[in-house]
Amino acid sequence: MLIVPLLACLLGVAASALFVLSPIGGRLSPRAMGWGLSIAPLSAFVSLLALSSSLAEGQAIAWRLAWLPELNIALAFYLDGLSLLFGLIVTGIGALVVIYAGYYFSPHHPAGAHGDQGAPQAEHTPGNDAHFFFYLLLFMTSMLGLVLAGDVIALFVFWEGTSLTSFLLIAYKSKDEEARKGAFKALFVTGAGGIALLAGLLFAAVISSSTDLATILRSGDLLRNHAWYPVMLALLAFGAFTKSAQAPFHFWLPKAMAAPTPASAYLHSATMVKAGVYLLARLHPALGNTEGWFWLMIIAGGTTMLLGALIGLRQSDLKGLLAYSTVSQLGALTMLIGEEAPSAFKALAIGILAHALYKGALFMIAGIVDHHAGSRDLRRLGGLWRAMPLTFAACSLAALSMAGLPPLFGFLAKETLLAAEMDAILPQLTRIVLPAITVLTGAGLLAQAASLTLDTFITRPGTGWPASACRAEHTAILPAHEAPLGMLIGPAVPAVLSLVISVFQPEAIISLLASAAGAAYGAKVKVSLELFQGITPPLVLSGVAIALGMVLFASRRAIRSPARIEGLDMNLAYEAVLRGVDRAARLATRTQGGRIRVYLSVILIALFALVALFGDLQRVLGADALRLDDALDVTGGLRLLGLLLAVAASFVSIVIRRDLLAIIALGSSGLAIAVVIALEPSPDVALVQAVVDVLTTVVLVLALSRLPRAQRLRAEALNNGSSVRHALLAVAGGALVTLICLYAFASRPRPSLVTPYYEQNAKPLTGAADIVGAIVVDFRGFDTLIEITVFSAAGMGVFTLIRHAMRKREAARLPVEGEVETASHLPILPAHISGVDGVRTSPFIRALAYAALPLAFVLATVQIIYGHDQPGDGFTAGVTLSLGVGFWYVVFGYERTRQRLGLIRPALLIGSSLLLVLGGSTLPLVLGGGFFSPFDFGAALNLPLPKGFYLSTSFLFEVAICLAVLGATMFIVDTLGYPERDLE
Amino acid sequence: MEVLKALAIGALFGIGLYQLLRRNIIRSAIGLVILSNAVNLFLLSAGAYDGVVEAYAKATGQRSDALPQALILTAIVISLGGFAFVLSLLYVISARYRTGDSDEVKGLSG
Repeated sequence: MLIVPLLACLLGVAASALFVLSPIGGRLSPRAMGWGLSIAPLSAFVSLLALSSSLAEGQAIAWRLAWLPELNIALAFYLDGLSLLFGLIVTGIGALVVIYAGYYFSPHHPAGAHGDQGAPQAEHTPGNDAHFFFYLLLFMTSMLGLVLAGDVIALFVFWEGTSLTSFLLIAYKSKDEEARKGAFKALFVTGAGGIALLAGLLFAAVISSSTDLATILRSGDLLRNHAWYPVMLALLAFGAFTKSAQAPFHFWLPKAMAAPTPASAYLHSATMVKAGVYLLARLHPALGNTEGWFWLMIIAGGTTMLLGALIGLRQSDLKGLLAYSTVSQLGALTMLIGEEAPSAFKALAIGILAHALYKGALFMIAGIVDHHAGSRDLRRLGGLWRAMPLTFAACSLAALSMAGLPPLFGFLAKETLLAAEMDAILPQLTRIVLPAITVLTGAGLLAQAASLTLDTFITRPGTGWPASACRAEHTAILPAHEAPLGMLIGPAVPAVLSLVISVFQPEAIISLLASAAGAAYGAKVKVSLELFQGITPPLVLSGVAIALGMVLFASRRAIRSPARIEGLDMNLAYEAVLRGVDRAARLATRTQGGRIRVYLSVILIALFALVALFGDLQRVLGADALRLDDALDVTGGLRLLGLLLAVAASFVSIVIRRDLLAIIALGSSGLAIAVVIALEPSPDVALVQAVVDVLTTVVLVLALSRLPRAQRLRAEALNNGSSVRHALLAVAGGALVTLICLYAFASRPRPSLVTPYYEQNAKPLTGAADIVGAIVVDFRGFDTLIEITVFSAAGMGVFTLIRHAMRKREAARLPVEGEVETASHLPILPAHISGVDGVRTSPFIRALAYAALPLAFVLATVQIIYGHDQPGDGFTAGVTLSLGVGFWYVVFGYERTRQRLGLIRPALLIGSSLLLVLGGSTLPLVLGGGFFSPFDFGAALNLPLPKGFYLSTSFLFEVAICLAVLGATMFIVDTLGYPERDLE
Repeated sequence: MEVLKALAIGALFGIGLYQLLRRNIIRSAIGLVILSNAVNLFLLSAGAYDGVVEAYAKATGQRSDALPQALILTAIVISLGGFAFVLSLLYVISARYRTGDSDEVKGLSG
């Protein structure tokens, strides 16, 4: 089961999350946490080993879990030689780093004084360091998922996971500005690469029509011959180069050294930065073997390799030096992927393992020195070998490997690298240039390795530096003491392995490297780890590199003199990009004038343009199916009149100056539309339109009356102005809608697919003669349920919005009395002057109101009972009732209405309505029907009911609709009718 | 008739747009109602076929299309709810900015 190693890591994540969240984490020492949590990567390591035994030569194991089956994307995993090599490095180094981190975060007392940079206390964040383990294990899971992913979408998700966890780990010392900046820089660069990677992977997936990695790897010819191949290659390479710190995107890696050292050792040397190399090696069988691939990898890799080696020697920070040597090594690996010879992939596999071993060890040693000597500044370190002999021994071993000296593993890596560069299949030019820059790089790395070992442990502080770079008081050897043995395990194991592998050449390692190289190459690769193969050109060149490196080391003082130029600094470019983004954002916000009408105009113009361009309007203009010759009968004449009235009344609402009159004009227009609808003929809709129109008018008037008078007058003064621009926009919109109408009408009459079904089945299935009513409460009953819920929510929303805002304002205005002044404490005015807005109401109107409410009630009841067969339904009933009540608000004012109609509680109405629907529609379920199926209780119980009245589920539904509409409308009317003192 | 109806709906729509774009927010609210009226009328008129009698099971003759009727019946009610909500939003905004002039509402300015 390929998922086991990942599950093991996930268990580690869960355990560390437990430490973060629960008090256990506070009680456990970091050491105990480190040892305990190392079980997770260790068991992942062991399970990977167990899996590898069943991995046949050149074969792969796959495991998949359906993830997005609709898109054919799976959470698939894939294990072959290449993923196995990376997986073992991730879990093996991971286990060591977790143990090491436990010691690293343990409180301790350094023997020395505080250094000026990287003092242990500064590294240590107060609080619970379980967070660090949590992030670290989360990273480990992502990284393992990345190298095991068998689906490119899964691969991308894990890839981004490593970027995000890397951000968290770099910014771990979040109080340190450098850490935050470094973390952001890393996220910015690798995040940009991640987007490119996704695009590139999608290209590959689309071209090979599968997101499955194995399928993509088999579609090499398809991918290479595709017209978009260069774009795809560029995108994927950008993703890989940013992740693996290739020039010119290398600049984030040195800044990422602000991370705690265990994270640097793990993420920024051994694993994450190799993700790009992994990706390129992984995709090489499918995308490689082209001119573009060759030159891209060779140039980027070669440049990076040389750059890292040359800049690194000038670094005074131990970790900075290591970071640049990592950059150099990553460049070499990328270059090897470009060379595409079997020997190159042999060198690649050896290089990956050798570098992971020695660089991981050296980083951990840098952390130990930092902790136990109090500084990692190379200018201040020196002569520590007496105090830290074991650390010195481990460091020497790893540094010898880094320097590429026999008999260590690093020597083999360099030999094979040189051999690959002289492979006969390469072009003549590269066979000269590449070895030359490799010799230079080898010399630089040797000088770096020598400097970091000798300048730390042997020479006196400041020896390797020009006098101007050091301060005089820093010439004494720092007081230090040896690290605990447990902490030394971390660097010692990989350092010793560097020696053991090359001396004993275990068969298992050889076959592991061979299968990794074979998977990346796409065919079998022979690997041998012979240290000495006679006097060969690579050996000679190695000798040259060593000699040159010694010269470089000896003259390091001169190289490090500050007068030398710093070279091309990509950080400046990065900052320029960030400044550019800020400037663009400022420019973009400048277009935001804040005028709502301008926004609306822009939206409308865009909409019209879209419809006009793509709406296929010429077909309308060419249509001659329109019946222009209709004989104008009586109904037609009435319709025309209604339409004319509606348009005229709406037009009046524009030109009339007073807002109240405009509202009334609007109401008339709505009523005229109700007439048109009634003539359609559709009486049910006409009824609803009429009552809703009246209610809309009432609501508008109530809202208008709430606005402070002065404000209202000021707004009314604006009505005089007219705008030609807006008029043009309106005419354009109107014309467009006219065209759309013509387009729609031209196709009438046409056969309907749905309506005949309703017409035939309304009576037999639902027992309703009114087909519209049957559709609303039976056929589409569930829609209606949702609809009344939405309507209720709107009513409650109005209540919450206005009452809430009002309470806040009242509290602000009357800090002491604010709480006391609730509705019941308002003075109750005599009935004859207490209409809405304090307007006097006449006795006639009051009598009308008294009569209207019972009348509304009767009307509503009739509509609900007979709505089944006749016009009218729950909506009309609810609105009619609300109108009766709303009338009271207008006539008697808020207080008296609340007093007299205290029983009408909106929330109660809405709640009982929804309960009624749910109960009424579930009941048939019990009685043998389906949910929401029609059921006639009256007939079932043999109740004596008047003719035309059916006590059925639809009746209950109508009642519920009525209650919900009444409740929500009461919320609206009640809220808008609530008196509030003038704000001004 | 069809052409005239299309013209009327277009006119209502244009009037609604013009009202919506005015500075006085009460007029904007009015514009919203006119717009939804125009759209409802359009939907009703765009039904599959013309009828001469109501859509009742017992009615004889060519019934008018019941489906758009049922749809706009609920649409009318929903637009009332939405309209009330928009009104209260307008009210809260005008109380906050102490104005009924939408050009004086500057909270969106960049």
